[in-house]
Amino acid sequence: MELMQEFRHSLIARHEIARQWKSRNLPVVGWTCTYTPEEVVYAVGALPVMVWAGLGDTKLADVYMPSNSCSFTRACFNAALRGDYDYLDGFVESNCCDNRGKTYDMWVNYSKIPNIYFINTPHTNTEKAHQFFYQEVVRFKEWLEHSFKKKISEDSLKNTVGVYNENRTLLKKTYDLKMKKPPLISGVEFLEIALSSLVMLKEEHNKLLSWFIGQVERRGDLPKEGVRLLVTGSIMDNTELVRLIESVGGNVVADDWCTGSRYFWNTVDLDGNPLKAIAKRYLDKVPSSFMYQREQRFRHAAELAKRFEVEGVIMFVIKYCDTHMFDAPLLRDELKAMGLPVLYLEWEHSMSGFAGLKTRIEAFIEMVGGVK
Amino acid sequence: MSERRLKATSGFYKKYVKKFYDDAHRAKAEKRPVAWVSSTFPVETLQAMDIVPVWPENYASVCAARQVSVELCERAEREGFSRDLCSYSRCVLGSMFGYEKELPEGGLPKPDFLVTTTCACDTHLKWFQVASRLYKVPLFLLDVPYNTSGGDSEHLDKAYVEYYMSQLEELFAFLEKQTETKLDMGKLRETLAVSDWTSKLWMEIQDYRKTIPCPMDARDAFSAVFFMLCMPGSQQAVDYYTQLRDQVRQRARDGIGVIENERFRLVWDNLPLWYNLKIFEYLNSLGAVVVAEVFSHTWAGSLDQSKPFESLARKYLPNMANSTAQRRVDIILNLVKDFHVNGVVLPTNWGCRMMSLSETIVRDAVYQKLGVQSLIIDVDSSDWRVAGEAQVKERFTIFIETLSK
Repeated sequence: MELMQEFRHSLIARHEIARQWKSRNLPVVGWTCTYTPEEVVYAVGALPVMVWAGLGDTKLADVYMPSNSCSFTRACFNAALRGDYDYLDGFVESNCCDNRGKTYDMWVNYSKIPNIYFINTPHTNTEKAHQFFYQEVVRFKEWLEHSFKKKISEDSLKNTVGVYNENRTLLKKTYDLKMKKPPLISGVEFLEIALSSLVMLKEEHNKLLSWFIGQVERRGDLPKEGVRLLVTGSIMDNTELVRLIESVGGNVVADDWCTGSRYFWNTVDLDGNPLKAIAKRYLDKVPSSFMYQREQRFRHAAELAKRFEVEGVIMFVIKYCDTHMFDAPLLRDELKAMGLPVLYLEWEHSMSGFAGLKTRIEAFIEMVGGVK
Repeated sequence: MSERRLKATSGFYKKYVKKFYDDAHRAKAEKRPVAWVSSTFPVETLQAMDIVPVWPENYASVCAARQVSVELCERAEREGFSRDLCSYSRCVLGSMFGYEKELPEGGLPKPDFLVTTTCACDTHLKWFQVASRLYKVPLFLLDVPYNTSGGDSEHLDKAYVEYYMSQLEELFAFLEKQTETKLDMGKLRETLAVSDWTSKLWMEIQDYRKTIPCPMDARDAFSAVFFMLCMPGSQQAVDYYTQLRDQVRQRARDGIGVIENERFRLVWDNLPLWYNLKIFEYLNSLGAVVVAEVFSHTWAGSLDQSKPFESLARKYLPNMANSTAQRRVDIILNLVKDFHVNGVVLPTNWGCRMMSLSETIVRDAVYQKLGVQSLIIDVDSSDWRVAGEAQVKERFTIFIETLSK
């Protein structure tokens, strides 16, 4: 079997696969923010899948959402209006950022998804925030139990934590394959693997990943050695931009993305009450930019840059993502102070400015490569 | 039209706003504690501890009114802050990065510390984080759960109120440490009583605007709301609103309206164009008067001295900014009904997701429930590059024509 085949298939056919699970009595629950405690969804016997959208225009959503709202959020809502997610048995939204929080109303008012839940996510991890979030996770569990008419036992939670922790560990192992020169896997390949984890049943993903790690050492078709880059930003739900970078001489060896390293970097520390341990993991993980613990994220990016010996950084900020737009100049300065060239890019999820991005990325890689 | 403006609001800027900044600079010079604070933060807590609150948001509106906000925004953009960010924040960051000309009111006094909240938006936290880093001063975050039910102060999730209250304890510990002064509960109760009275007076003033013709315009309201926002717990606010209330009440009784022939009564959502408050006079010239601003109906809240923490939580937590669209819809539906309104203006604010999202929901609800039309118009409160005056006027003209049919 070709190394990447199954991962790629899980992305191309994600909706059909989800529908198949559903027909086998596995309800499907969509989520959008990586602070959603997926383990609890899994423990109720449902398949948690991240909601994202293909690139392209968002005509359906534009009727309801202003052009100055997050273009990724608009794309997700557009996909919902188009019917891509009609199979969802539930959908979880959060106040992780203004765009997402306010879009909750859009889903409630204009989408066909029956069961929509809002989980309140603190923007800090103080002791009181932990207590509050734990309470929210308990409520979330109760909502799931009520919605799917099934009790979630402590054992099933512990079991799920095991499955999820294994996935995180395997993803990290895979991530480290990019440390080699040339990297053992490309940035596109890693992104495909990470994204497939967001939509596949984790047990299946674990099996596939274990097999992959066993095989990959022997691969003959190594990625071409290029300029080693760190990429930062919020969400990257498609491979187009990384593919572009790698097609013009870059190697994306490290990322600081919600859908990348920040998704799996931290495991749940099982000790006592599993629900409490799960809640704790989310608030303490490498933070997203909406969290007060900004320095922790900056440190994460800086450490990645060092460990993966990157030569440059490309910052991707999705249009109208406030929290990243505020962080960007500060993070840029920190990375520059480390001697790294930095390219800041704002991109529309619709890819309307693709040609401009391409030119700038090409020029940047040429510039960094030339310094070499 | 100017002779129809209220006495109490003429010269408002010089008499009150300028004085506010002069006082803040004096406090700074006298080494009294100065804190930067963002809207929807329970400012009464600072007032009760004799901390001088300074509002970067208000300052941005001042810069817009003085026509320098765009230059300041551009200054921040040169530092790498995106043009799509909140213009308030860009404007204030621009003023911090150094501006070659003289800043309005000598700029904002430097803070000794910052306090902010997630109650209104992400921007407050992120913007204040930048400020905290630039000035190397501590930042306190009041993390406020999102009001998912969209309920008002009486209908809030108990767990949310409790989380809020527990953080007020942390806030006071922070303030005590910063100021090396103990909180005096008696003083806090007094401040809440004054703030409560301020709110009541303000709402009484708003009530008189239900009168046909309407005795007070948006231009007056957007000036006078200053006290509600910036210093609700001060005697100065009570004194000013008492005087304003008397004038508005007198006009209502005498049947004196903002314009002679009032044909259209409008609700105005969100912020005004601070750089062009005269746009309200343009509406007047079309026979229209803004009789209620959602903004004017957002900041009041009753405060019970016997339950200081709980009532602060209940005042601020259900702010429209922190609630699902239902809250905004409820507020606007009530305004349309109670104020005999024929049209709703929903201005977006380019750098503000919180204000811009859910306008379609409001528009649809108001039309479906009451048959009243809305105008969604893309503008920005302080960055006039977003929409030109001619364009804005044209949209208004067409909207008013539509309402005439």
